[in-house]
Amino acid sequence: MTTATFPHRVTPSGVLRSEWHKLWTVRSTWITVLSAVALVLGVAVLMGGTYTSGGGDSDVDVVVLTLYGSQLGGICLAVLGILVTAGEYSSGLARATFTAVPARLPVLGAKAAVLGATVLVLGLLTNVAAFLTAQVFLDDTDHAASLTDDGVLAALAGNAAGLALLSLLALGLGAALRSVPGALGAFIGGVLVLPEVVGMLPYDAVDTALRYFPTQAAGVLGSASPLPGAPSAGAALLALALWAAAALAVPAVLLRRRDV
Amino acid sequence: MIRAERLTKRYGGRTVVRDLSFTVRPGTVTGFLGPNGAGKSTTLRMILGLDAPTHGTATVGGRSYASHPAPLTQVGALLDARSFHPGRTAFHHLTALAHTHGIPRSRVEHVLGVTGLADVAGRRVKGFSLGMGQRLGIAAALLGDPAAVVLDEPVNGLDPEGVRWVRTLLTSLAAEGRTVLVSSHLMSEMALTADRLVVIGRGRLLADTTVTDLVRDAGAASVLVVTPDADRLRTLLPPDARATAEAPDTLRVTGLDAPAIGRIAAAHTVELHALTPETASLEQAFMDLTHDSVEYQGAAA
Repeated sequence: MTTATFPHRVTPSGVLRSEWHKLWTVRSTWITVLSAVALVLGVAVLMGGTYTSGGGDSDVDVVVLTLYGSQLGGICLAVLGILVTAGEYSSGLARATFTAVPARLPVLGAKAAVLGATVLVLGLLTNVAAFLTAQVFLDDTDHAASLTDDGVLAALAGNAAGLALLSLLALGLGAALRSVPGALGAFIGGVLVLPEVVGMLPYDAVDTALRYFPTQAAGVLGSASPLPGAPSAGAALLALALWAAAALAVPAVLLRRRDV
Repeated sequence: MIRAERLTKRYGGRTVVRDLSFTVRPGTVTGFLGPNGAGKSTTLRMILGLDAPTHGTATVGGRSYASHPAPLTQVGALLDARSFHPGRTAFHHLTALAHTHGIPRSRVEHVLGVTGLADVAGRRVKGFSLGMGQRLGIAAALLGDPAAVVLDEPVNGLDPEGVRWVRTLLTSLAAEGRTVLVSSHLMSEMALTADRLVVIGRGRLLADTTVTDLVRDAGAASVLVVTPDADRLRTLLPPDARATAEAPDTLRVTGLDAPAIGRIAAAHTVELHALTPETASLEQAFMDLTHDSVEYQGAAA
C-alpha cells in the first residue's frame, strides 16, 4: 500500500464539512426537509385560497395565518434533528464518528451548526415564498400585505428562527436519549403536548410561565403584530434560545462522560 | 505501538476487563484471542477511547488515542458491529469520515480500490452482504494510512477468498512496519496469521506469547508409547514423569521426551512397538488455556 501524503489533522472546519456531507447524503434529510417546505407552502396556498374578508380568521395575524403549516413542518424538522443525532446510535455510525473525532464535543457542535443554519436559511426562503404566494390570493382582501409592512419580514424571519431553535432542541434530545423513538416521544410529549395539558391548570402563574415554553415562544416570534399578553419578540427569542441551549448542554456534558 | 496498562472495565458490579496489561509492537501481527465474552471488544473500545477504563490506561504511540491531533492516522479500526448508516453509499460514508481529517478524495478512492469495493462504492450500504460490510469497515480503517490497525473479528462473514485476502493484507501491513492487532475467537485463524498472541479469558490476561511458545508452554506435549511391558515401563520412569494408560499396551507419558523414554526402555530391555512424540495442537493449547474462563460451556453430548 502506498503511503498517503496530506496535512491530516482534525479541524473544526473539517468536522463541519463532515457533518454537512453526512446530512445531505441520506434520503431522510431530503424527505423531511422537502416535506416541511411542501407543508408550509401548501398550507399557505390553502389559507390564502379559502380566506374571505371579515370571516373567522380576519382577526388572526396575517403572517400567523399564512404560516399555519409551519407547525406541521416543524415536526418534520424536529424528526430530522433527532435523526441527525440519535440516528447515529441506532445505525452504529456513532462508533465511526467518535473514532474519527474522539474529542466528541466538536461533533455535537458541528451537527447543531449545520442543522441550525440549514433550517434557518431554508425556513426563511420558504416563509418568504409562502407569504408571497398567499398574497396572490389575499391581494383583494383585508389581509392584503407586503413584505415591507411593519413587522412582516421580522415575523417571517422570527418564524424561521423559531423552527431552527426547535429543531436544535430536538437534536439535543436525540443526542441525550440516543434513541430515535425515545427522543421523538420526548419531543412530542414534552414540547408539544405538555404545555397544552399544563395550560388547563387554573393558575395565573402557570399561564405566565407557559408563554415562555418553546412552542409558545416560537409562536410569538412568528407574529407580525404583538399578541395580547404575550412577551416581547426579544424575550421570546431569548427564552427559546435558552431552551435550545439547555437541550444541547445536557448531551454536551453526557458526551464527555458516557461510553459511546 | 499499542500499550494497555492495568486496564480494568466495570459495568455496575460486573468486571468485564480486569487488570489487563500487554504491549502490541510494530512490524508483527498480534492476535488478540479469547472465547466469546472474554472482554476483547471492550478492550479494543478502550484503546480507541470509545469506552473509558474504570482503572488503568491505554496508549497508542505513547499517548491516549483521543489526545492525538489526527487519530485516524494513528489507529485505523474495524469494530465488531457495523458502524455505518444503511442509507448512505460506501463512497459517501468514507468521504464524510475523510473530511474530519482533511483527507482527499483520491485517498477515499484508493482504499475503495484496495478493499475491492470500487464497483459498489455508489451503492447504498443497506444492500451490502456481511462480507462487503467487513470490507467497508476495513476501508475505513485504512483511510488515514494509520501507523496501527485494530481489527475486531475481521474475517467474520467473509468467504474463503475474502479470508485469504484479509490474511495477506494483515501480513503486508505488518511488513510495512505497522502495528497490527487482530481479535478473534478462533485459534486456527490466528495460527495462520499471527506471530504474537495475547490471550485473555474473563477479562484477565492468560498469555502474552508467540504462537510457538504457546504450544510449548501449554505443557501438553506428550509421548505415546506402545509396549507389551507397559506396567514394568511405568515403574521404571522417573517420578517427575507422568504416565497414564490409554490401553493395556499403551501409555501416554508427559514430562519426559521420546529419546529419554527410549533410553530407559533400552537400558532395561523393555520391548517397544511404538514411540510417538505428540505436540498439542494450537487449538488444544488454546482450549487448555481458556478452559476455565469460557463463559458458556456445552456439556459433552
